[in-house]
Amino acid sequence: MAALLLLSVAMLTFYFRESESGPAHGLQSGVLQVVAPLQKGTAVATKPLRDAWNWTSGVFTANSENSDLRKEVEQLRAGLANELATQAENDELRALAQLQDDKIFPKGVQLVTGRVVARSTTAWYSTVTIDVGSDRGVSEYDAVVNGSGLVGRVTSVTGGAAQVTLISDQQSYADAVVMPGGAQGIVTGSVTGDVTLGYVDKNEKVKVGQYVVTSGRTGSIFVRGIPIGVVESVGSQEVELYQSISVKPFVDFRKLNIVQVVVR
Amino acid sequence: MRFTRTREDREGWQWPSAAEIARLVVALLAAGLLQTAIAPNIRILGANPDFALIIVVCVALLRGAEIGAVFGFLAGSLVATALMEPIGLGAFIFVIVGYFVGRYAETADLSAGLAPLVSAFAATLIASVLYAVAQDLLERQVPFGFFVVRVLVPSLILNTLLAGPIYVVVRFWLRGAGDLRVARAR
Repeated sequence: MAALLLLSVAMLTFYFRESESGPAHGLQSGVLQVVAPLQKGTAVATKPLRDAWNWTSGVFTANSENSDLRKEVEQLRAGLANELATQAENDELRALAQLQDDKIFPKGVQLVTGRVVARSTTAWYSTVTIDVGSDRGVSEYDAVVNGSGLVGRVTSVTGGAAQVTLISDQQSYADAVVMPGGAQGIVTGSVTGDVTLGYVDKNEKVKVGQYVVTSGRTGSIFVRGIPIGVVESVGSQEVELYQSISVKPFVDFRKLNIVQVVVR
Repeated sequence: MRFTRTREDREGWQWPSAAEIARLVVALLAAGLLQTAIAPNIRILGANPDFALIIVVCVALLRGAEIGAVFGFLAGSLVATALMEPIGLGAFIFVIVGYFVGRYAETADLSAGLAPLVSAFAATLIASVLYAVAQDLLERQVPFGFFVVRVLVPSLILNTLLAGPIYVVVRFWLRGAGDLRVARAR
């Protein structure tokens, strides 16, 4: 037993010390290539069961969800009034409402549609596997979106599959900007799935109901204007340098099915 | 129950036959397949079932500490590789689970029939705590409330409930139909 434990520790050390293109990571990519079609098959086969389960559990949560949606509508109305104030703000709102509008993604960017075939089985990682890979032009660090907004980024890719780290993962980061207003910060996830906007200067005025989109700053892996979520709460303590902003993502990560990879 | 091995224990141990190894390999592949292709699509009580852990527990109960530890090492490595998780972490945890469940089976009276459930419960508890400690060492957040409510309790319930039927299938596979008839006759 001691030998096996030592071997396990050695493997773990080797895994973390090697680069992303090292043999252990390469082995994982190779195995993913084999496993992904199986995952796709079971994902399709079990979808009716999952839909039935979601519908049943949805009945019990409908009341509270209805109340939440009413609040959200009020917030969206308030946000809409602000957005219509100026033409520039209006453009931003349009970018939020119409994700696939050509204005959001620069010329030369292609959207590759794929299906989520597996999710991480532990609560510690928020990742999904999708059934499109380098065969379709997908590469590492590509942004992944769906009809609602930013889903995450590609962290590993093989010929026919890719692993996507969701923005709700605690090791996920995205340059973001609050609209309107333009306060800049970094969106990070957490193990609980909560998403926060950090590093926003205390002097910036951020209100509940404002939208958070990718900033597209130089060096960012995401293009500008991909919707991330809406500001849910704003907190600030005197001892802290930055504001603490909670963001409710537009994307429902529990019900991910069809996604698009932004291939550059 | 003794968790350390005596000299008699070590001398009494025999290598499994080729047929037995073949059956264990099939069980290993089944564990890998269930955990990588089926488990990600099943989410009950907010948790995914850990088929690989349960099968390691079953194999350790049926085949003892040594085979349990080796099977755990291989199952942990296979699952981590296929699910793109850090290679070595799952293997480390499953070796511990396989060994100690195997020792429990070698030294305790398993006739009550609750052994698979008790073992799966204890194994899930140990594995969950070890995973949480590892996450903390890897400098990832591990909020205590989140761990207990969203990770530990759902996993304990789900894995314990699944352990019974999976144990029956694994025992049938490793020992044959005759063993099941003997068990029912008792």
